[in-house]
Amino acid sequence: MRFAITMFSLLAIASIIGTVLKQNEPYNNYIIKFGQFWFDIFEKLGMFNVYQAFWFLLILVFLIVSTSLCISRNTPKILKDYKGFQDRIREKSLLSFKHSYQFPVKKFSVKKTISFLKSHNYKVKYKPVEGNGDLIVAKKGDLQKFGYIFTHLAIVIISIGGLLDGNLVFKVQELIGAKQIQLIDQPLSKISLKGRMSEDNLSYRASILLSEGDTKTAAILRAKEGYLVQEIPFSITLKNFNIKHYSTGQPKSFESELLVKDKKTGETINKTISVNKPLTYKGVTIYQAAFEDGGSQLDLLVWDLNSSQPSFKMNSQIFKNNKLTFENQNLTLEFKDFRKFNILEVDENKEKKPKPTNVGPNFLYKVRNESGQAKEYQTYQLPMLIDGKYFFMSGMRNSPQEEFKYLKIPADENLSIEGFMVLKSLLNNPKKVQSAINKGIKTSAFTTSGKKEAFKLGAENIIGAFVGGGYNSVIDAMDLNIPDQASVADKEKAIKTYINIIYLVSQELVRDYQFKNKNDIVFPANDAPRFIQDALTAYSDSFFYGVPLYLELKEFNEVQASGLQLTKSPGQFWVYLGSILLVLGIFCMIYIQEIRLWIFRKKGSNKLIVSLATNRDRIDFDQYAIEFKDKIKKII
Amino acid sequence: MLRNIKDKFMNYSFGLLLACLTIIAISKFNNFMDNYELIILISSAITFTWMGNVWPNFRKLFIYTFLLSFISIYFYKGSLEEIELNFFLKYFLSSQSAIMWMTALYPLSLLTYWIYLFSKQDFYGNLATKITWIATMMGFVGLLVRWYESYLIGIDVGHIPVSNLYEVFVLFCLITSLLYLHYEEKLAIKKLGAFVLIIITAAVGFILWYTFEKGADEIQPLVPALQSYWMKIHVPANFIGYGAFAMAAMISVAYLLKDKGIIGSYLPELNVLDEMTYKAISIGFIFFTIATILGAVWAAEAWGGYWSWDPKETWALIVWLNYAAWLHLRLIKGLRGTMLAWWSLAGLLITTFAFLGVNLFLSGLHSYGEL
Ligand code: HEM
Repeated sequence: MRFAITMFSLLAIASIIGTVLKQNEPYNNYIIKFGQFWFDIFEKLGMFNVYQAFWFLLILVFLIVSTSLCISRNTPKILKDYKGFQDRIREKSLLSFKHSYQFPVKKFSVKKTISFLKSHNYKVKYKPVEGNGDLIVAKKGDLQKFGYIFTHLAIVIISIGGLLDGNLVFKVQELIGAKQIQLIDQPLSKISLKGRMSEDNLSYRASILLSEGDTKTAAILRAKEGYLVQEIPFSITLKNFNIKHYSTGQPKSFESELLVKDKKTGETINKTISVNKPLTYKGVTIYQAAFEDGGSQLDLLVWDLNSSQPSFKMNSQIFKNNKLTFENQNLTLEFKDFRKFNILEVDENKEKKPKPTNVGPNFLYKVRNESGQAKEYQTYQLPMLIDGKYFFMSGMRNSPQEEFKYLKIPADENLSIEGFMVLKSLLNNPKKVQSAINKGIKTSAFTTSGKKEAFKLGAENIIGAFVGGGYNSVIDAMDLNIPDQASVADKEKAIKTYINIIYLVSQELVRDYQFKNKNDIVFPANDAPRFIQDALTAYSDSFFYGVPLYLELKEFNEVQASGLQLTKSPGQFWVYLGSILLVLGIFCMIYIQEIRLWIFRKKGSNKLIVSLATNRDRIDFDQYAIEFKDKIKKII
Repeated sequence: MLRNIKDKFMNYSFGLLLACLTIIAISKFNNFMDNYELIILISSAITFTWMGNVWPNFRKLFIYTFLLSFISIYFYKGSLEEIELNFFLKYFLSSQSAIMWMTALYPLSLLTYWIYLFSKQDFYGNLATKITWIATMMGFVGLLVRWYESYLIGIDVGHIPVSNLYEVFVLFCLITSLLYLHYEEKLAIKKLGAFVLIIITAAVGFILWYTFEKGADEIQPLVPALQSYWMKIHVPANFIGYGAFAMAAMISVAYLLKDKGIIGSYLPELNVLDEMTYKAISIGFIFFTIATILGAVWAAEAWGGYWSWDPKETWALIVWLNYAAWLHLRLIKGLRGTMLAWWSLAGLLITTFAFLGVNLFLSGLHSYGEL
């Protein structure tokens, strides 16, 4: 008994550890968190995989053994109680019960009493005693005791089922050196027998990642820091992967169209599985578990943000790398992920509450330089509506722990990025800038040629600084030119003037371009000032973008991959069976009241003794006993 | 005799009413239901008929709730815009208003129960019970109408409102108060309302915070893992368990107070309190067991394994072990009294952690309702 409570506590504490300490993380995370010293100790104790640790299994085994012992000890007694009646009881002990009543009888009909008791669902035994005395022994609620057997048997069955589905077989094989966890990624065909679990492995939960069109014939078993190959009796082909969406944009279902082919007989099955709708074949259940990109193809345009160079085309594929020489640097572009749907909460308008919207495809890539350092980029294909204006968004971060910082490039009249690119090319074209400044001076109010000359020189410097490094370098340049004693107000005034000059020159560049290219309208006619300001901000921000390399996604051919889980779980049946038994047992135990009743009349006596007892003291029972005694009194 | 006939008549007509509703529902929506949903519908009708027959006040609740919900649905005219336009919807019967009425009425009934406790005037006791009934009714109306509203957002968005922390908290209030009302009637223990309503009011506080701080009342479509008929039974069964455990803990508070002689003269006898705690825990235990098993069956279907040691699962096991230990102590050792009362109070902490703490502090596959 005390033992049972100890068992409960042990199991509970062990379980808590597993929920507080995140399980099955990469070992490096633990080392960073705890340090090498504690990591080693925790690792030995199996803390990173508590539920499969040796001691945890030991608790389970202990649970099975002790509960079985408990059952085997109590069952004979229960069976005996069930079969028999307690008819060897003495008058004295009858009278000592809490519910023991005596009342006078004139004419006592045994038959009538028995049929009364039977009509109240009692099992009855009549026994004449001590020479013509009458003893009626009755009982009901035997099932309560069976409840005990049911519940405890259920615990045993469930635990055994659970163990059956654990990785006990592998653990033993690992212990004797027959199997070994693989730590290095290599093609499955290269992996030796030691790293392979055979088809008739008792139970497993393995996974398969399939790109659309791919076929696989074995699965992967994750184990600690590595993996094992799990052979399966069939091959799986992913014909198609589909994500369906709600009208609000959130994902509604993930579906894999599978072709499963038996390795021995060649029998094939076509079936679409989805979350909550798995497929069971040859004792293995195949679940939709995850999805990711399966190597989508992207057609890109490569732009240099800080030069007047034209863009050029580039083809790429997710999980592939492209080499590129850009501004005299040898760069590697590593394409990581592509997502066709992205649900974001964007402030489309100041007035409206942001609500989740699909903002369209994006892709994720890293740009690595010669020294091996990489920055990560996330670029959206389509412009996003932010505060009523459209922007192309591209995020950059230096490490995965950081948040992305976004470059916001305004979209032009045609919702394309071209307008911005035209403007940055114009700014990077010294001749055009020169003539724009000259034009500005012509139409300006400067009267003397000396002033004109001074302005021209200043404007050239400012534009030069801006083109070479954005607003920041304009401010730097200003610090050199303005005397130290200038007041803050003076400085601010100067900055405003400079920004205005940059703006006016850009406006001139745009006007000139529009005049010469009347047919291709790129700059917004109504909203030109706003566009130019946003574009200049974006240009200035591009100096914080890591590399001034912008990848524009033109076309894509999406290839998806589906993550499947393959489960073989022979214990499931037993666990379910045990569960049913458990519920049944608890029901019997809690809701059935065991009652025993004796009616005794000594020979020749005109007094009747009625005693009731139960094995569990309850208020209900007190009430019941009193009422039932009265009923008996009535019928005799 | 006459009473008996009237009872019988009510029983039969209630059964008939439910049978009719079920048949109408089936004939109208047959195309939208699969076999499991049919089974769930029919067994719900049978369960409610049974409950209505053994507990006439439940029957009343059922009828009024449905009446109000139908009126509300009628006012909607199939458009969510009516919430702002129709006076009754705006202030009484839209899902949000109905739930707000619930959140206002439960604290009021708590107050009334305390007035009753000290004044010992039956008037207040009866009033408190009435308020609790009305609050419960409004809560149920709120949930039912919410169910309807979810279909107005989009026919594919529609789902039973037991899918996120907000909805489930409302359900918790309703189930706990129903359990309490049942025992109040059966065992004549009105004074315990002063305690049980504390935990309900606390849950109401959470709902309000969650609504106004996090906008949790917004209806969201179901993520793929939740699209399962198991959800429809797993979640309510779980909450009968949680509700019963919570009630047991609050009765234990009353027990401990009385044991220490604090406001003891106002409370029922110790052995009654003890028995109540046992009843609550045993009913909770059986439903919690069933719910956990159903959860396992569902997990087997959605995640590919009936048990993954996901934090929520594991904490459910811990809760279960805790009450199994409690029952062992009481049933086998015949232990009674203070120690078990403290234990059941501590049980509430464990239960609350499983219910809420896991979502707050631990991550896992159980994805509904992150804070
Ligand atoms: C993890 C699950 C369980 C374990 C490990 C367990 C273990 C035990 C142990 C070791 C005993 C003592 C037996 C003896 O010494 O004779 C016992 C007795 C008992 N258990 Fe459990 N038990 C479990 C679940 C349950 C459940 C779910 C119930 C029902 C609510 C229950 C009800 C009882 C009863 C009534 C007895 C006493 C039987 C008697 O003395 O006649 N047990 N249990």
